[in-house]
Amino acid sequence: MRVLGIDMGSREVKIILLENGQTVLRKKISTMQFYRDHCRKEDRLIVDTKSLGIDQFDLGVSTGYGRNNTDLNDFTQINEVKAHVYGALKQSGQETFVLLDVGGQDVKLAKVEKSIMTDLELNEKCAASCGRYLENMAHVLEVGLDELGEHHENPIDLNATCAIFTESELIGHIANGDSTEALCAGVNFALYKRIKPMLMRFNGNQVVIGGGVAHNKALHQYLKSDYDTVTALEDPQFNGAIGCCHFGELKLKSGLKRGQINV
Amino acid sequence: MNKIGITTTVPSEILFAAGVTPVDMNNLFITAEKYDAYIERAERDGFPKSMCAWIKGIYGAVLDHKMNTLIGVVEGDCSNTKVLLEILERKGVKMIPFGFPHDKEPEIMKHQIERLQTLLNVDAEAVEAWRRKLGEIRDLGIALDELTYKSNQLSGFENHLFLVSFSDFMNDPEAYKETLILKIKEAKTREPFNEKIRLGYIGVPPMQGDLYDYVESLDARVVYNEVQREFMFPRWEAARNVCEQYLDYTYPYDLNSRLIDISRQIETRNLDAIIHYTQAFCHKAAEDLIIKAELPVPVLQIEGDKLNELDARTKLRLEAFIDMLKDKKELG
Repeated sequence: MRVLGIDMGSREVKIILLENGQTVLRKKISTMQFYRDHCRKEDRLIVDTKSLGIDQFDLGVSTGYGRNNTDLNDFTQINEVKAHVYGALKQSGQETFVLLDVGGQDVKLAKVEKSIMTDLELNEKCAASCGRYLENMAHVLEVGLDELGEHHENPIDLNATCAIFTESELIGHIANGDSTEALCAGVNFALYKRIKPMLMRFNGNQVVIGGGVAHNKALHQYLKSDYDTVTALEDPQFNGAIGCCHFGELKLKSGLKRGQINV
Repeated sequence: MNKIGITTTVPSEILFAAGVTPVDMNNLFITAEKYDAYIERAERDGFPKSMCAWIKGIYGAVLDHKMNTLIGVVEGDCSNTKVLLEILERKGVKMIPFGFPHDKEPEIMKHQIERLQTLLNVDAEAVEAWRRKLGEIRDLGIALDELTYKSNQLSGFENHLFLVSFSDFMNDPEAYKETLILKIKEAKTREPFNEKIRLGYIGVPPMQGDLYDYVESLDARVVYNEVQREFMFPRWEAARNVCEQYLDYTYPYDLNSRLIDISRQIETRNLDAIIHYTQAFCHKAAEDLIIKAELPVPVLQIEGDKLNELDARTKLRLEAFIDMLKDKKELG
């Protein structure tokens, strides 16, 4: 039984191929490349799976940003938040939690109780406090993303979380002679300050983190100071694709093989 | 016939026996075209924004309908009712407080009943005769409820509407009886519903009546309305008198009795999940954490405030919830 999951994110497309529950392919390509080199548009989007190195699968499940962009021919399309919830259920093994997924350009939150989604929240259209914000700030500070995420202590106070306005605010602090550690911590804390009000809308003390920003260690520290349990998913960036596969596996197992293709 | 306003279900047997018609002010408020004007009126007069819309709606409805007497349930329902009574009293409305004793102490209940009987100048025999008479109508309510969850011929909204109306028998028991008989007769000829998801609705009746039709558009149906069913007193016949009947009533007492009954209904009615409605600013919202821990099925808490229709966010949450319930059922 081979299940293919494709999560078309704003920056990257994540692909997972499962064979009898085992990952046999785990691939990430730029969104631009995916649409340009591996898809063609007819009535619906047709993806050339062979060009992605996938020759056969029983069920394909797709998700991602924008309903029209992710409606692949011969694929079962599922809602993005739902895909991430399925991914988190599979990866965390927990049934009741608040899922915080911070991606390149969006923040998704889902409340999951007894394995069923009971609430959800998305950020506004602005990418403040998302991965892109961290990337921009790391660039200004001339540090790598990993190093940026290392620092959480003594954060400098940053008021803006806008990826553009924070730059000038940050430069002011650099000129003031603040340490790189405190500057990095300031950026991380500003990210948390922006996310926290969204998290506060859900009750619950178990947080599961997904999305690329889950790699940011400072974010874990801040979350741990406010929540009883903070679980980072093992493969946070591929959580949406894993969710697609998990959903697909359940679907195949139940014998409902809608959207099945044989390549 | 004299009319007396009520703030929630009270022993209407006593009122009818006294020749008085109960009028549930909640129903007048929520069915009014200008329901929002009632809330606005209350806020203009000084009711805080952070107070339940039902209290403000009752206030507006009492004034608009020029009710001269109001029975307010000050224990077991909403503590805001106390201040509502005080304010309305100063506006010349005669107030009769009534309470459901939290510890279900029969002596206190008896005292409450006798006090109301004395005030309305009616004896226990007359009340019991009316209890039997209204019991026949309650039996029709039971039949109507069964049409919802057994033969699946009644919609969630119809179940809500006809059960919630038992608080005042739509101001005319005889006419209400006829309405129910006709409704049952008509519903029995219908093709049964065949939705994928069966839901229970718990908590006070909703501000947003469109909730029922909305969940039905998602291939789900509410087949259990907890509090509305309690208003109908499905166990009336097991009670020996009005006092016992109003003690065997879950809504105004402890959460535990409610949970026992809800759990029983989850099983009897084969419910997939529960929608727990709470009103903005109501203390009952905190009960949600106990409810979720105690009930064996997924629970979605939704909140209503002043609007009488579902907002986009609540619709999205209902959609996501029902969608995953369907997955759970189909995919195992």
